[in-house]
Amino acid sequence: MMRLTLKTFVLLLCCSHLQLAAQVQYTKEVADSMSTNGLAEHIRHEEIRKGLVNNALEALSGQTAGVNVTTNGTDRMAMLNSVRVRGTTSITGGNDPLVIIDGVTSDVATLSTIYPSDIASFTILKNASETARYGSRGASGVIEVKTKRGTGGGFQISYNGNYGVEPMYKYLPMLSAAQYRATAEAWGLDYNDGGFDTDFHKVITRTGSVQQHHLAFSGGTETQNYRASFGLMDHNTIVRVNDYRNMVAKIDVTQKAFGGRLTGDFGVFGSSAMTHDIFDTQMLFNSAATQNPTYPAGQDANGNWVKNSTAAWINHPGILLDEKNDSKDATLNTHLRLTYDIDSHLHLSLFGAYSYYSTSRAQFCPTWVWAQGNVYRGEFNGEDYLANAALNYGNAWGKHKLDASVSGEYHQQLRTGFWVQAKGITTNDFSYHNIGATSSRPFGGTGSSYEDPSLASLMGSVAYHFDNRYSLSATLRTDGSSMVGKDNTWGVFPSVSGTWNIHREAFMKDVSRVTLLRLRAGHGSSGNLGGITSYTTLNTVKENGIVSINGVPTVTMGTMKNTNPNLKWETRTTSNVGIDFGAWDNRLMLTAEYYYSLTTDMLYSYDVPVPAFAYDKLMANIGSMSNQGVELGVSMMPIQQKETELNINLNVAYQRNRLLSLSGEYNGMQMTAAEVTPIGSLYGAGQHGGDNNVVYQIVGQPLGVFYLPHCKGLVKNEQGNYRYDIADLDGDGEVNLGDGGDRYVAGQATPKVTLGSNISFRYKDWDIAVQVNGAFGHKIFNGTGLAYTNMSSFPTYNVLQGAPEKNIVDQNVSDYWLEDGDYVNIEYITVGYNIPIKSKAIRSLRLTANVNNVATLTAYSGLTPMINSYVVNGTLGIDDKRAYPLYRTFSMGVSVQF
Amino acid sequence: MKSYNRLSLSLLLATTLVSCLQENLRDQLYEEDIYNNATDIYVNAVAVLYNYIGGATDSEGLQGTCRGIYDYNTLTTDEAMIPIRGGDWYDGGLWDNMYQHKWSEDDLPLYDTWKYLYKVVVLANKSLHVIDTHRDLLTEEQAASYTAEVRAIRALFYYYIMDMYGRVPLVVAHDTPQKDVVQSERSEVLRFIVDELQDVLPMLADEPSNRKGNYYGRVTAPVAHFLLAKVMLNAEVYADDDWTDGIRPDGKDILFTVDGKELNAWEACIAYCDKLAEAGYALAPDYLSNFAVHNENSIENIFTIPLDKNLYAAQFWYLFRSRHYNHGGAVGGASENGTCATISTVMANGYGTDEEDTRFALNFYADTVRVDGKIVMQDNGKPLVYMPLELKRNLTGSPYLYTAGARMAKYEVDRTAHSDGRQPDNDIVLFRYADVLLMKAEAKVRNGEDGSAELNAVRDRVSMPHREATLDNILEERLLELVWEGHRRQDLIRYDRYHKAYDLRTPLPEEGNRYTTVFPIPHKSIDLNPNLKQHKGYADKEL
Repeated sequence: MMRLTLKTFVLLLCCSHLQLAAQVQYTKEVADSMSTNGLAEHIRHEEIRKGLVNNALEALSGQTAGVNVTTNGTDRMAMLNSVRVRGTTSITGGNDPLVIIDGVTSDVATLSTIYPSDIASFTILKNASETARYGSRGASGVIEVKTKRGTGGGFQISYNGNYGVEPMYKYLPMLSAAQYRATAEAWGLDYNDGGFDTDFHKVITRTGSVQQHHLAFSGGTETQNYRASFGLMDHNTIVRVNDYRNMVAKIDVTQKAFGGRLTGDFGVFGSSAMTHDIFDTQMLFNSAATQNPTYPAGQDANGNWVKNSTAAWINHPGILLDEKNDSKDATLNTHLRLTYDIDSHLHLSLFGAYSYYSTSRAQFCPTWVWAQGNVYRGEFNGEDYLANAALNYGNAWGKHKLDASVSGEYHQQLRTGFWVQAKGITTNDFSYHNIGATSSRPFGGTGSSYEDPSLASLMGSVAYHFDNRYSLSATLRTDGSSMVGKDNTWGVFPSVSGTWNIHREAFMKDVSRVTLLRLRAGHGSSGNLGGITSYTTLNTVKENGIVSINGVPTVTMGTMKNTNPNLKWETRTTSNVGIDFGAWDNRLMLTAEYYYSLTTDMLYSYDVPVPAFAYDKLMANIGSMSNQGVELGVSMMPIQQKETELNINLNVAYQRNRLLSLSGEYNGMQMTAAEVTPIGSLYGAGQHGGDNNVVYQIVGQPLGVFYLPHCKGLVKNEQGNYRYDIADLDGDGEVNLGDGGDRYVAGQATPKVTLGSNISFRYKDWDIAVQVNGAFGHKIFNGTGLAYTNMSSFPTYNVLQGAPEKNIVDQNVSDYWLEDGDYVNIEYITVGYNIPIKSKAIRSLRLTANVNNVATLTAYSGLTPMINSYVVNGTLGIDDKRAYPLYRTFSMGVSVQF
Repeated sequence: MKSYNRLSLSLLLATTLVSCLQENLRDQLYEEDIYNNATDIYVNAVAVLYNYIGGATDSEGLQGTCRGIYDYNTLTTDEAMIPIRGGDWYDGGLWDNMYQHKWSEDDLPLYDTWKYLYKVVVLANKSLHVIDTHRDLLTEEQAASYTAEVRAIRALFYYYIMDMYGRVPLVVAHDTPQKDVVQSERSEVLRFIVDELQDVLPMLADEPSNRKGNYYGRVTAPVAHFLLAKVMLNAEVYADDDWTDGIRPDGKDILFTVDGKELNAWEACIAYCDKLAEAGYALAPDYLSNFAVHNENSIENIFTIPLDKNLYAAQFWYLFRSRHYNHGGAVGGASENGTCATISTVMANGYGTDEEDTRFALNFYADTVRVDGKIVMQDNGKPLVYMPLELKRNLTGSPYLYTAGARMAKYEVDRTAHSDGRQPDNDIVLFRYADVLLMKAEAKVRNGEDGSAELNAVRDRVSMPHREATLDNILEERLLELVWEGHRRQDLIRYDRYHKAYDLRTPLPEEGNRYTTVFPIPHKSIDLNPNLKQHKGYADKEL
């Protein structure tokens, strides 16, 4: 939004023809999109974060209001499936925004493999009238990515590279060996003294390193141009076994023919990403924190691991590093777009794309972690075919302008998978490379799968503009899916929007300082099927077990679920109204937008009674949920001179989600989901399935609220230890910690307000940029603190420094450990220097120095408040022994253009 | 003109697209495609139900897994318990609450167990419908025997449902509308089970189910006979529609027709026990052979859950859950250091006295643990010594935090078991002939006869001196002989002791009216089906 006029931003980076040209082209696009669809959020390459960026998802973080990227969760890297545009709108799924890369339907996973230097711009579409073009697939927002292309400006080569180190700077302060011994003795507890003094956090970590290299060629003429690039990213994280490597290659060619009437765009994108993941993050970090610190770091003289066997929920951290959880993702995308100008008003566009995805997964658990060991290999392939034909009409008479288009689209997917799990390994030396050297492949561990869902759409849209002052547009689309019930294949989703460019009105002529004043509003609906998959509506059977029949083990087949053949589209209706204001040549820009979206016919797995049903869940379209919010953006350029320039951008989003209803009627039967449904709980010793639920889904509340017993304080028990004094909230004389017991809504897990801010300053050839993000109004349950303070688990499990003094012998869940999650985080500081070189060979040369993860301001007492606060799953809002130790990245970069 | 073009283009596209919006099943089939011939129907409508006898997840399976039927019939009694051990085994008080009878209708495992049992009933009803609608593919004999087997399986599940939940809905048709799912009196469910089993018995194969071969794992005539004997023995309990009023019908007045003769409950029990003797079942000379890794040749076992780590998914957690960690490690697996025999069980075995029962050493690990003759060491270098008499409900702070309590033995340890010891090859014993003898002894005594021959046959096998067949002695013998086999709750209820004080347990204040002898109808089941009414005792507590 406000960023679109900050042309001078471009100067911050190496000024090249390429970028200026891109800028011009881009401005035109935005003007187009504005006129028909309100105003989409647009982030140009120059504005993409300038700190060290490991992948394109991180590049998005904090750049625009209403878009949240959970970059933490576990390892402070951007999590897949963690990008949320205006929060969660569906319970069962389909909350990931649609990613469109150069027109090709893609997903967040693929976006994360694109090299940030290849991205020309992101456009975030949030309102229904903006996403209408993508129909159901865009129901949860759309991230349009345009990659860089050749410009016809002659041959160019550019290289970007950087190298960084990642030292750990903070981890949980557990008792040292000496403190551990002293505490056990002071408390008179029998403990095992292994005779060592080991800091197990150091055993599993190292100083991480990251490097990136990117090379691009481009060239061509007015009628034909190309761009080819190659990128490599290699990241060895601070955890010894946790590595990523990503290679990307990309070619784009544009050719014009028939006197410029036909334009052909052809592109190929391929990537190969390798991941060495941690097998069980929570187990590893829990083990590193709570392993008896008197135990040795490695094997003993005989090569055996000295185990702390009574601590059954953890393992020797060194052993856990031997587990393997590797994957390889390969992607190939190709697309071809032909645009033909039939006459000056009528244009035909044909678009075809093909994508191939392949994921290989390999896991290995050696016999010293799992008796008999465990080996897993899996291969998953996907193919996507997309065809789109559109006829666009545009004409103008005097002050009138009309655009109309009609298009049809067909999207076919094919997914297959094959996997084997084996046990009974005789040697750990093969790892997962020889699955034949195993004695057993039990039923259920080996399988293959196939599905081919398809989606078709028809769309017509009309937009009318008068005198560049008023625009009105309407879109009608119908989406059909193979996955919904037979009688509900098609859903119809209309949308309308309008804008009023007030600054172009005659009465504004005299107010010359105001360069932009625009009012816009939209209303529309879209369909979502993210909650279901192929075959959900079909009464199908598959293998469900193996029994002995006439002495022969025989596979039986049967149903695995209750089937609802009447499933239909979940519908989300959004209304939005916004205002944009610009003054002093748009050196000051303000935008504000309010939106309200209502999800109806919400797909959800409802509880049904057993009997008469065989299974306890039935997917149906019943409930509803609302999301509303205000998004504000400010951008200022207080200083704009030849040698000095200051830019300040700030975006703030307020969001409120509410689960309105989960009841209704299905086939004459009243269906009511439980009023209170747990979605997140603690895990670990003594917390197995007993009143350990923390985060709930409650009708009338936002998705993901803390529903907890209230702790009045600490009280001494007979043994002289403290326990949590839990309030009898319902006053029935008994304290009941169960789901339906003495609990109350104690706060929400998702932030009410999020903040992103970028400040950049240039003086001559030097520049500096700072990115600051923040989140407010939410809580975090410090499950790590609860577990690591509980002295009843000591000395079996180590505890935090200070825990012996607190003297708490209790592990009941209560609001004692619920804390404010507010934080402000300085994501990065980058200093750049454009070396003024006067050389024919080298057009520009730039050096940068970055610090990422600079500092976090928070009152939260745990390791970091940047846990999963956005994605509704079992980890939402709960800090439960799985946070990565904190590290900073210090890196140097060079970028050169020839 | 333009709009006309647009319309025709849309129509053209629409017709093309509709035909493309179809799912092509490849890795699944439509349900109607799996009943094409007699074999298909047997496999996918009858045998498929045997997948649910054992289980691989919590609360599923008649035995072998946790938080299900077995735990609610064992850890709620004077036989065994899982004590709190510091930070471990607290789990929100789940295990201690079981021991104290402080479960609630909100307990998830009770709901999960209910769902599991009724799932199999509903699937069985559907199987009967499938057999019915595919009669043209079956001979009359096939149709009759398939139907009989499914009805017998369904009766088996209703037996567990009735035993645990008392007044429960009897759903017997595949298309029962939700509004008709209402509770039947417990005595009606009892009659239904008896009638069903008696009705299908002539069509069931008269073959042992526990042995590998054509009938391995199936519900055959001996299984039905055993089940009928069990139901008869507990008929006083099951025929009692108000178990909180302190009045119980007399077994001598509860009449059943067996082979055309009208018999009272005790006589009927004896009649079915005799059928099992006639079928050739007998005590195995070696007590432990019934629980060996390869126990499929036992002449004593009647109904088992077939386990084979390489074939079936079903699991057996109980050894894994009981042993100390280092003990598990020493036999090539892992462990959870949980379940212990109660002190009263250990005392009943004469632990530490000169009269220690010979079965104590077979059924329990106590004192110093040896594996392959070597003493198992703890991490602190001290020998691992289980302390049976140091057991407490909460061991936090005890010097025997990790070692208190005698542990479960009984089953031979399969050193090659998968999943850290949870997938051995030992078949799990559900019904066996020693139980038949003890049932017969008890029925005889309750019917005013002498049951010492049967009681002492069981004692002879383990070289224990004869005892008089009093009801008390028989109950104790059941503990000694059948410990760890999941029968104790039912036995205590039959003996009217379940609600009283025993071992380390004091009764709940309101427990005197025996309301805890059935579990509550899960809250969620009532929420979803308002026809269901909560039992007395639990319902009052709600108010």
